[in-house]
Amino acid sequence: MNKKAFYVPVLTITFIAIIVPVLLMVLWSFVQRWPWPLLLPEDYSMRTIRELLFGSANAFHLIVSSVSLSMTVALLGTVIGTLTARASEFYTFRGKSLIRFASLLPLIVPGTVLAMGLQIVFIRLHLTDTVAGVILIHLVSSLPYCITIMTDATRALGPQLEEQAIILGANSFKAFWLASFPNMIPAFLASLNMGFIISYSQYFTTLIIGGGRVKTIAMVLFPYIQSGDRPLMSAYSSFFIFSGLFVFMILELLIKKLSKETISNETEC
Amino acid sequence: MRNNKFMPLILLLPFIFVTALIIMAAAVVIMQSLGWIPAFGLTELSLQYYAEILTDSDFLSSLSVSLRVSIISTVISAVLGVAICAAIVAGGKGKFPFIVRFPILVPHAVVAVFAINILSQTGHIARAAYALGLIADYSQFTPLLYTESFLGVIVAYVWKEAPFVAFFVYALMVSISSSLGEAAQNLGASPLRSFFAVTLPLSMPAIANASFIIFVFAFAGYELPMLLGSTLPKALPITAFLEFTSPDLLNRPYAMATNGVLLMFAVFAAVLYLISIQYAVKRTGGKNE
Repeated sequence: MNKKAFYVPVLTITFIAIIVPVLLMVLWSFVQRWPWPLLLPEDYSMRTIRELLFGSANAFHLIVSSVSLSMTVALLGTVIGTLTARASEFYTFRGKSLIRFASLLPLIVPGTVLAMGLQIVFIRLHLTDTVAGVILIHLVSSLPYCITIMTDATRALGPQLEEQAIILGANSFKAFWLASFPNMIPAFLASLNMGFIISYSQYFTTLIIGGGRVKTIAMVLFPYIQSGDRPLMSAYSSFFIFSGLFVFMILELLIKKLSKETISNETEC
Repeated sequence: MRNNKFMPLILLLPFIFVTALIIMAAAVVIMQSLGWIPAFGLTELSLQYYAEILTDSDFLSSLSVSLRVSIISTVISAVLGVAICAAIVAGGKGKFPFIVRFPILVPHAVVAVFAINILSQTGHIARAAYALGLIADYSQFTPLLYTESFLGVIVAYVWKEAPFVAFFVYALMVSISSSLGEAAQNLGASPLRSFFAVTLPLSMPAIANASFIIFVFAFAGYELPMLLGSTLPKALPITAFLEFTSPDLLNRPYAMATNGVLLMFAVFAAVLYLISIQYAVKRTGGKNE
């Protein structure tokens, strides 16, 4: 069988199936009237953009608070992921195999169990309806990914570089900071990226723990979808995706740039 | 390997804290599902709530809807995801295309917007069918959204999860295909045979892992069945949510028993996954660990 006869059509169909819904969403954002059965809109308007910028939920404010909340989750996830990876990769201790299992718990425990269970736990801790509570439950959902990424990176790098630094007189924090950290920047960024995306997409956990008080873009979008106003829900969705994508792309570009630098540093050595 | 008693404990403290939160959440859900809610004056442990919901016809139809949606969407996503992954590997660009990673970044609520624009009775597929003369009016277009068939929910999950499977399996498949797959072809196997006899079975651990993750996600997912599913029967996470937020506090144990059932099925899926991994490892001589 000709390989090309397989992968060209499969990839073409996949690309079309992924891109077309996105293009239609962007088009719908500017629609004034698009009655059945027309294939193209009858009339365009900027109504949705006005609503987005000056409407009940201020888009600029929303984006700043959503992005900073998710970035906080990503940073915490990456730091905890790094610490956990170092413990499980560089030390021997009893019960080590439990760590891997425990780190995958959020993938096994259904999101509804996690959210409703934690809501009750958080009432006692006065964390319900607070940003801190929402950050904490997003962190729980992001950690399996951050830990996996940081564990792979820690294992790939190994302890040798740090051990040499320690032999040369560095303390263990300095050894990490000077020897391992620069080499792990691409992994840090990949972990930040994953943590950000998971947190940015959360709806149900934010609803239960935030109790409607903590507003993220997902929280504001949901009622618009239920209202059935297609131009408005499409505009909010475009705004949601492209703002997330923007942060994602910046991190990806940094990863590419820094990976290249790390590689060229290694070849220089 | 360093042998220090306290350092790993210090490094693990935040992780242990988060893990403790998860265990507490699950424990609270299970205790409340057994009727232990001292704050509401319920202090008698019993299986009564499970017995009641498991004999309730509304609950059982919700359970069957949730199972049907998650199983069908997982199977379709796994098959399509593996096909997409194989195509990317066969294309041999040495890099996973960004476009195929894109759906992983799209939140479920936004996927629901895509589905409403495209799959509804006045959506783009119905319009295309009308333009082609296949239907005379939108009422003739089979409803896909808000129906008991949950077809729109399934399509939406597949759109998001098939690329996830492809992405998840890619690293393993590309390494097997370039080593053992190539070897099989050098020994005279056709590309097709090499794929089905070597690359696919050796990629099974990653495929099973990805399938498990998306199954639990679809089974316990709230957004898509809420936005695209029927009003009756409702998917399980929605009934759990409605009972949880009900002003009648005595509904709480029922919400938690529903969560308990969700948890049991997720654990069952995890066990199935572990068994399938062991089977795959045994069958392929343990070379793919």
